[in-house]
Amino acid sequence: MYSTKIVKAENSSAAVQAIGSSKEGKILAGGMTLIPTLKQRLANPDCLIDISSCGLEGVEDKGSSVRIGAMTKHAAVAESSSVAKAIPALADLAGGIGDRQVRNRGTLGGSVANNDPAACYPSAVMALDGTVHTNKRDISADDFFKGMFETALEEDEVIESVSFKKPEKACYMKFPNPASRYAMVGVFVAKFSDGVRVAVTGAGEEGVFRHSDLESALSSNFSEEAVSGVEVSSDGLMSDIHASADYRANLIGEMTKRAVSS
Amino acid sequence: MEIKESYDLPLPIETVWQALNDEGFLKNSIPGCEKLERISPNELSAEVKLKIGPMSTRFKGKVNLSDLNPPNGYTISGSGTGGIAGAASGSAKVFLSKMEDGEGTILSYQVKAEVKGKIAQLGSRLIHSTAKKLAKKFFSNFVQELSK
Amino acid sequence: MSEGIGASVKRKEDKKFLTGKGKYTDDINRPGQVYAHFVRSDVAHANIKSINTKAASQAAGVVAVYIGEDVAADGIGGPICGWVVPNRDGSATHEPPHPLLAQGKVRFVGDAIAVVIAESVEQAKSASELVEVDYEELPAVANLETASSGAEIHEGMKENRYFDWELGDEAATDKALQSAAKVVKLSVRNNRLIPNAMEPRSALAEYDDLGGSYTLHTTSQNPHLARLILAAFMFQIPESKLRVIAPDVGGGFGSKIYVYIEEAVCIWSSKKINRPVKWTADRTQSFLTDAHGRDHINNVQLALDESNKIIGLRVDTVCNLGSYLSAFAVAVPTYLHGTLLSGLYDIPTIYTNVKGMATTTAPVDAYRGAGRPEATYLLERTMDAAAREVGMDQAEFRRLNFIPKDAFPYQTAVALQYDTGDYEPNLDKAMEMIDYKSFEARRSEASKRGKYRGIGVSSYIEACGLAPSAVAGALGGRVGGWESASVRVDPTGTVTVFSGAHSHGQGHATTFSQIVSERLGIPNANVEFVHGDSDKTPFGMGTYGSRSLAVGGVALSKALDKVVEKSKKIAAHLMEASAEDVEFKDGKFTVAGTDKETAFGDVALAAYVPHNYPLETLEPGLEETAFYDPMNFTYPAGTHIAEVEVDPATGVVEIVDWAACDDFGNLINPMIVEGQVHGGIAQGIGQALLENAHYDENGQLLTASYMDYCMPRADDLPSFKVECTNTPCTHNDLGVKGCGEAGAIASPPALINAIINALSPLGVSDMSMPATPETVWRAIQNAQARAAE
Ligand SMILES: Cc1cc2nc3c(=O)[nH]c(=O)nc-3n(C[C@H](O)[C@H](O)[C@H](O)COP(=O)(O)OP(=O)(O)OC[C@H]3O[C@@H](n4cnc5c(N)ncnc54)[C@H](O)[C@@H]3O)c2cc1C
Repeated sequence: MYSTKIVKAENSSAAVQAIGSSKEGKILAGGMTLIPTLKQRLANPDCLIDISSCGLEGVEDKGSSVRIGAMTKHAAVAESSSVAKAIPALADLAGGIGDRQVRNRGTLGGSVANNDPAACYPSAVMALDGTVHTNKRDISADDFFKGMFETALEEDEVIESVSFKKPEKACYMKFPNPASRYAMVGVFVAKFSDGVRVAVTGAGEEGVFRHSDLESALSSNFSEEAVSGVEVSSDGLMSDIHASADYRANLIGEMTKRAVSS
Repeated sequence: MEIKESYDLPLPIETVWQALNDEGFLKNSIPGCEKLERISPNELSAEVKLKIGPMSTRFKGKVNLSDLNPPNGYTISGSGTGGIAGAASGSAKVFLSKMEDGEGTILSYQVKAEVKGKIAQLGSRLIHSTAKKLAKKFFSNFVQELSK
Repeated sequence: MSEGIGASVKRKEDKKFLTGKGKYTDDINRPGQVYAHFVRSDVAHANIKSINTKAASQAAGVVAVYIGEDVAADGIGGPICGWVVPNRDGSATHEPPHPLLAQGKVRFVGDAIAVVIAESVEQAKSASELVEVDYEELPAVANLETASSGAEIHEGMKENRYFDWELGDEAATDKALQSAAKVVKLSVRNNRLIPNAMEPRSALAEYDDLGGSYTLHTTSQNPHLARLILAAFMFQIPESKLRVIAPDVGGGFGSKIYVYIEEAVCIWSSKKINRPVKWTADRTQSFLTDAHGRDHINNVQLALDESNKIIGLRVDTVCNLGSYLSAFAVAVPTYLHGTLLSGLYDIPTIYTNVKGMATTTAPVDAYRGAGRPEATYLLERTMDAAAREVGMDQAEFRRLNFIPKDAFPYQTAVALQYDTGDYEPNLDKAMEMIDYKSFEARRSEASKRGKYRGIGVSSYIEACGLAPSAVAGALGGRVGGWESASVRVDPTGTVTVFSGAHSHGQGHATTFSQIVSERLGIPNANVEFVHGDSDKTPFGMGTYGSRSLAVGGVALSKALDKVVEKSKKIAAHLMEASAEDVEFKDGKFTVAGTDKETAFGDVALAAYVPHNYPLETLEPGLEETAFYDPMNFTYPAGTHIAEVEVDPATGVVEIVDWAACDDFGNLINPMIVEGQVHGGIAQGIGQALLENAHYDENGQLLTASYMDYCMPRADDLPSFKVECTNTPCTHNDLGVKGCGEAGAIASPPALINAIINALSPLGVSDMSMPATPETVWRAIQNAQARAAE
């Protein structure tokens, strides 16, 4: 990697300040995505702002929602008893990310900010009608994700926490890419009293998206048969050496069925 | 890989054609373009900064205009090297035709893209989507610029 | 003796490795050391118009920057071919030069163009970015099927073909095909693999300007061979001026047999700048530049008579050998592949033609199994197709065509003579282990759960213990096939073994000690194992092709014979008896018919403190060396049976059971054998389900990281049932055959046959490797669409 400077921020406003005073500063969370990129010399930030001491860790049950700090590690979410009680599907999702080492370093905020088209968390934020709380504002999930690797975050904006609404019932079904074990297709189904939200990751060319046909079918009839009645189109789905768009379309239907019937 | 798309523009074909040949328009349309200078009638030198997720690389290269068929279209191609990241090249065949109402123009394009080196080796899953996204961005920027 | 031959003692070396105390090449540092980084081609095929190294030379920390012309000016040659074959028309294999650094042209993505040497790795990398290369791009030749009509890769090489070789009787075979009651035809592709040893390649070269000699630490499976090639052929210096040390090496699987350009550049530049030069590949470089494996297309025709007996086999193969001919690239698809086409079947006539092609991809060479997995795959897939076509049970069709037990030694139609074997017990045992006869019940139970269940058989043979030198020579080899060992007995009776073989994970320190322990009756702990240093061990050919035990172990046994023979003479003297009457057992010398005895340790002491010693007839000391050239290959054989369940909704294949019954001859350490079988099967499952080196049409490697290249992981694998039968090898002293590659050879066809078997009710009769979920799902979709028509 190119040599760079690391500063440790005490709180998020200090982090924002450090970004402002650098030319091309980058927030460093768990480093599971950022550090490999730097080691490959595919980015050359003049400054890394370590936010591990900003007090952004922890899980808080807010009644109708669960709020999780941006620096909370995947392993902590997977093992949290309040997450397990309120939204077991979320704990499950976190426990299925990467491997033990990745789960012990990688963070919710890093995953959401990065918005990798194959990452797991964005689907939970979408399906659980989440809100991303930054140092500046609250951004609803539907406004936050802007296409692969793109979000509504501004240069000087830090995610502090993410809230997830508690569903009546939810399930995340991941079909892992055999090589990377990221999602080749991941479907997060969440049933609320006023309808069903279905978010798909790993499949869309624009990153995570809500599948409106599946949502309306499931909102009126929460069953596998309802899913079978939906023709999942391959338009706008990714095609790569691992899977064609057609195959991904098939997996979306299949993973949705499994999520519904689990 | 090939990517096809089309737009309906409420502008006469000549206006669109002119814009397609104007480096100001092109510079504002090419995503991440930091520099674009004409070095000969159909050749421009370019510097483009590309950010894909945590990766951020500056590509230096050229943009060429060929197969010029005013005002019906041309091929715009670009190739650049991003140092350690490797190289990328792409070309778009652009077709302009008058809409049936005689007023507007249909702009359609076909894109081909290729990457070399590290970006191919490490980012293969993203090549297609990124090419599609950049092409889309280029033409949507272009359309936006035109409607200003 | 509980620690001797046949005991499953724990591996001596594991404590070191499991606690991170291994010492690998990259762990070694020398005073004044600098670091090399290679500027590599981003394009698959191009002429180099110019290289500008000026800015790089002036960058911080840079010691030197060299390009191809600098190497050429010093007259340093490139890596050589260790094996060539004649073409069908009598001409020779085309051996194009392989320069250490590109000269005017690059031929694959990763081809080295320049080397930057700096005070730190990061400085070398930074400076490398400043080297400007101006290319004139040429069309890539990335596709094996169309390589012969692609752009010329090497000057004067016709149709991008290195060789066009044949073996067997073409006329007789074609006649058999014409007269056959049935001809089964099949075209299969053996997918391209990347070796992925845990430790990447590394080299550290140091020049001693006082003695004019070099020391190279490197990741080699065969340090002596590396020394021979580097000194005699590439640098043209006396071999004695180059010491090659391969310390702990973290896996090779074949990829560390060859001399690569990087270690040669380190040696060369260490003298030019008179400082130690180190280079270690990062994972991307490993993917790009380690010799890849497999990559064959085989067209098979199998002739059967009315009674379903095989009467002939024809195989036409094209194989991808990549941009340059690696050391044993020619041997793999020819003498390690063509000669194995009889499998364990009685086939009266066989003909094969193999075309070795150049492409603008990384060089391809031996990878675990090397040629034999390809032969086994095409044959066992064809046997399966044939059984299906004639409506016989897959196991019974094989049984019908096995070489009968009383036919050994058996001369095949493709040069080899199998010394011994008995194939039915392996098949029977494997069928029993997996409960073959109840399979249909399991199939219907699975179908109630919506799953397709299938069972697949693969019966294999391999030729191991490379190699009888005369046979190798006759078939085009340029090296010998023997191995060496020295046994040094210390005055107190402890022993050090110096072996020409090399352990890079196999556990030689344990198994070789067990042989000593068995023969000399001393504890395992009293035996040290020294390997991997050309200054310490006798010349040896190294480790590959399951040869360490079958050749190196036998050399050790022969050296031990000499030790025992001399010891008997010493003991006879000590006990005042005649040497013929002395017996040696469990570490004690006795005289027949008396109660006289003396311990091995006492004899050793007498050899070094020869106060009472027959000095007039016997030299003092107790140290013996043996070189052993095998009379024949060894022929491990066996049957693997895989059972799978396919989920039709996703195409996911779950391996639900695996039975392996192998005949490796005598076993020294059954636990280590089982480990080798497990590892081999895992690699074979990787090939069959997961792994694939994917080049795009421009010759860009799209699978150059673990994000895209799929290695098998523990949770991809079932629990294996492994058993052995034993027909001891008839021509070596230990009766051993070798077990390192069997798993990787046997497993891919077992698995693919099982998947086809699972889907055969749908009418699926073909499946390509890797059988990824989408590949399987598509086969199901297509079959269902055909059925609906
Ligand atoms: C081997 C491996 C396997 C993986 N498998 C999976 C998987 O199966 N599913 C999955 O979802 N993910 C997977 N990941 C990714 C993992 O979840 C990462 O942890 C995550 O993508 C990034 O989180 P991080 O905390 O490591 O962020 P970092 O790498 O530190 O940062 C990532 C990016 O986000 C920015 N950033 C970080 N925190 C903030 C913040 N609070 N506010 C604003 N910007 C911020 C950084 O500047 C950077 O650009 C895997 C990673 C690896 C290495």
